[in-house]
Amino acid sequence: MLLFATTTFASLSDTIDQVQSKIVKIYGAGGYRGMEAYQSGILISPDGHILTAYSYVLDTDYITAVLADGRHFEAKLVGADPRLEIAVLKIAAAELPYFDLHRAVKAAEGERVMALSNLFGVAVGDEPVSVQRGTISVVARLEARRGVFETPYRGPVYVLDVTTNNPGAAGGALVTRRGELIGILGKELRNSLNNTWLNYAVPIDELRRSVEEIRSGKFVAQRDPQADKKPRRSVDLGLLGIVLVPDVLERTPPFVDRVRPGSPAARAGIRPDDLIVLSGDHLIQSCKALRSELEYIDYEDEVKLTLLRDQELLQVTLRPLRDVNPPKKEQP
Amino acid sequence: MMGTKVFGCFLLLAASCCHVAAVRAADDADAQEQAALQAAVNRVAPAVVQIETVGGQEKVEGVLFGTGPTTGLAVDPRGYIVSSAFNFLNKPTSILVRLADGRRKSAKLVASDHSRMVVLLKIEAEKPLPVCEIAPQHEMRVGQWAIAVGRTFESEQPNMTVGILSAVERISGKALQTDAAVSPNNYGGPLVDIRGRVMGILVPLSPDASGGVAGMEWYDSGIGFAIPMEQIRQVLPRLEKGEDLHPGVAGIHLKGPNLYVGPAVIAACHPQCPATAAGIRAGDEIVEIDGRRIVRGVEVKTAIGRHYAGDKMRLTVLRGKERLEREITLAETLEPFQHGFLGVLPMRTAEEKGVTVRYVYPKSPAAAAGIAAGDTLVSLGGKPIAGRIEMIEQISALEPGAAVEVEVRRGQSLRNLKIVLASLPELLPPSDLPPATDVRKQAETTAPRVGVVSMKTPEYANEVLGYVPDAPASGSPRGVVVWLHGRGGFDRKQLLAEWKPLCDRYRVILVAPKSKNPAGWMATDAALVDRLLTEVNSKYQVDPARVVVDGYESGGSIALLSAFSNRESIRAVAAVEAAPLTPPLENEPLHRLAVYMASAAKSPWAAAIERAVATMRQMKFPVVVKKLGTASRDLNAAELAELLRWIDTLDRI
Repeated sequence: MLLFATTTFASLSDTIDQVQSKIVKIYGAGGYRGMEAYQSGILISPDGHILTAYSYVLDTDYITAVLADGRHFEAKLVGADPRLEIAVLKIAAAELPYFDLHRAVKAAEGERVMALSNLFGVAVGDEPVSVQRGTISVVARLEARRGVFETPYRGPVYVLDVTTNNPGAAGGALVTRRGELIGILGKELRNSLNNTWLNYAVPIDELRRSVEEIRSGKFVAQRDPQADKKPRRSVDLGLLGIVLVPDVLERTPPFVDRVRPGSPAARAGIRPDDLIVLSGDHLIQSCKALRSELEYIDYEDEVKLTLLRDQELLQVTLRPLRDVNPPKKEQP
Repeated sequence: MMGTKVFGCFLLLAASCCHVAAVRAADDADAQEQAALQAAVNRVAPAVVQIETVGGQEKVEGVLFGTGPTTGLAVDPRGYIVSSAFNFLNKPTSILVRLADGRRKSAKLVASDHSRMVVLLKIEAEKPLPVCEIAPQHEMRVGQWAIAVGRTFESEQPNMTVGILSAVERISGKALQTDAAVSPNNYGGPLVDIRGRVMGILVPLSPDASGGVAGMEWYDSGIGFAIPMEQIRQVLPRLEKGEDLHPGVAGIHLKGPNLYVGPAVIAACHPQCPATAAGIRAGDEIVEIDGRRIVRGVEVKTAIGRHYAGDKMRLTVLRGKERLEREITLAETLEPFQHGFLGVLPMRTAEEKGVTVRYVYPKSPAAAAGIAAGDTLVSLGGKPIAGRIEMIEQISALEPGAAVEVEVRRGQSLRNLKIVLASLPELLPPSDLPPATDVRKQAETTAPRVGVVSMKTPEYANEVLGYVPDAPASGSPRGVVVWLHGRGGFDRKQLLAEWKPLCDRYRVILVAPKSKNPAGWMATDAALVDRLLTEVNSKYQVDPARVVVDGYESGGSIALLSAFSNRESIRAVAAVEAAPLTPPLENEPLHRLAVYMASAAKSPWAAAIERAVATMRQMKFPVVVKKLGTASRDLNAAELAELLRWIDTLDRI
């Protein structure tokens, strides 16, 4: 049993040694209060391509990459995808150990993983970066609600149960216990819904295409089709015929005070004292939240609301345009 | 040589074969472990629900309150769900529950358990809710797997964090402890074992603070707590009926200062408390609770802590040689305790017996009974009075309205008086108080340094200016005032010029530390105050009845914090232009605390100070309110002299 245990550790430390050889410490701009001038990256080609986080650290002509063996290289920024917050750097080197992004794997909830990064810049010179162990807490999407996470990234992430996302960790590797690449550690993110820090990595699957395009020089920064864009003309409470209770508190619950007769709201059966709790699938926690939520709905679209009336949840659909002015729409 | 090399190669080969096999085995073990963790979560997942709330306050106890989804666990097919009280502290208008299959239901908060900080919710379920198997507490072993499960992310799957069971029977036996990451992401969710059985419900808790957000600062720190599911199941029927549960109070005060040392001897019982009602009284030593042996004071606290108000406890006490067994029913709250007052100031002389009256408060019970300055109080309730401090303690343990028999000597004549106690005065004393000591002086035998001294302690970097009036009059110990400055620190010369004459006149040691942060004091500086008091006590003979913490602005807030957290040694607090950081704790029969609150009409803290005064008065602390005019400022010379005069009357009886 003792032999078993020691050899298990030996295999894990072998794995870590292999992974360490592919991790890069990156130094660049910053150094001010609260803005560290360093981050982490991974080698993704034998000839010196480095995948890292796109951040202010790269906002300089002098980016230094330090390999696991302590060699220093000046790194050039090949390109970046601001939407995914990743960048590709290049150093003049050859025959380097590297992660093949095509051989990256997926992980599931409960999987034991390791995160390797230069968090807090603890590793200096040829010192290997810090290794943390943890578990995939959940695979979740960040897009849930607008403004919850301050990042343009809207895809799935691996949420981790260990404090990985610290200053300097962005761009580090998330790997399996066998050393297979799973994802890239993201920047520090605060969850504004419950005021906690989020520890996460972005799956390689989400990044691969962008990285290839950047490397081949074909990358064109694109607007996210799913981006939170307000329509030119959106619906509002007046258009729907809803008058809410006076908005006097920081979080006034959106109770309906009055419904204008003949309005879309009246036709949908909304009544005074109904509490509006959902718009589409978005939870509405206050009068303010409802008003801003409606700004994202085009005035030509249906508005789906869920009401709470006497402990019962009711779904209603409001058709502002059709209900307000049905004949006009039919006219040629 | 050759042989060794071959042998060496062989060994290497064998080792590498073994290595490959071991790696495969380790991979298998990893895979199995992972599968087990996932299976455990899958077993509870159907019962783990997401909770969303609408409306509610933005801040709770000064902590910004998130609006984010939280977690609950179905515990009864009829639609009952338990969650952490933390998730509802902001008193939301409406609660929505999102079941594991995605259906949303509106929920009602049925009842709260204020002792274990869990709540019970109810939804109208069309079909029975899935419920989980409960892990029996006797099977739990420290070191076993513990998985914390929540449902707060945008995913079909619940979120899980993995760790071990770090401890059982934490926080008065009410909580399990785990090193799995516990945070608002899983508060209200289950802590499950490797077999997918529910061990407990995750809640923020703190061993030394109560209240809803206590323990939140420890999120994701490796210190997480869960209320054992077995305990919750026992109270579910009561919660289902809508009964709120509260921590139980016995009204017992144990002899301190250190509850970890020595037997559990009762120092005082609240006059109207479950213990007094059961015939338990001061001096009794608690030796058993509910059949469990009690060795130290702290075990009594733990034993009471796990009980609810209304629970019965069986106490076995020793009274002298007698062994008594009493059943007490714990209360939810006690009537606030108010200290009794006779109406005299004692002389501070080292008389063997009795207390000589220095001053009689006008309109006090003592005045009404005809006691005059110069009289000597000889006995109380038929027992000789040992001295000033003992008499303060005896009278303080009684409430206003209590009748006492006092024997008074005037010249050669002795009189027996029956006096009904009043409450401590909330007025500042007149300017013509007679001195508390004889004028005859006598040097201390071992003379520590007097005059202006540095009282810096090795543990703290803070500079500490001290002023010690010279050798006191015969037998009269010195009072202590720890003064905490406001914004901008203080000027040494100016401070001494103001304080020195007053310190000399009233025989008070001044201790004035400087904050390390020029912007002001931090809550953690209360520890510095305690340390300085210990230091002064060890070097000088201090009058325990006149130990005061005084502060201006943030210094005043720290003074209040110190006073309420160190009731054993601090007898009064003076806060100038300062509001308390935390609500005051209840008044104690054993320890008096007088309060002086000075504020200006246009003080930025005016409203908070007013609220604090009202709360403290409600809790029956004697509060002197001093108005400083319109603009916010520190005390002027006349007001400081008046404050010191008030301090001079703190040994009032």
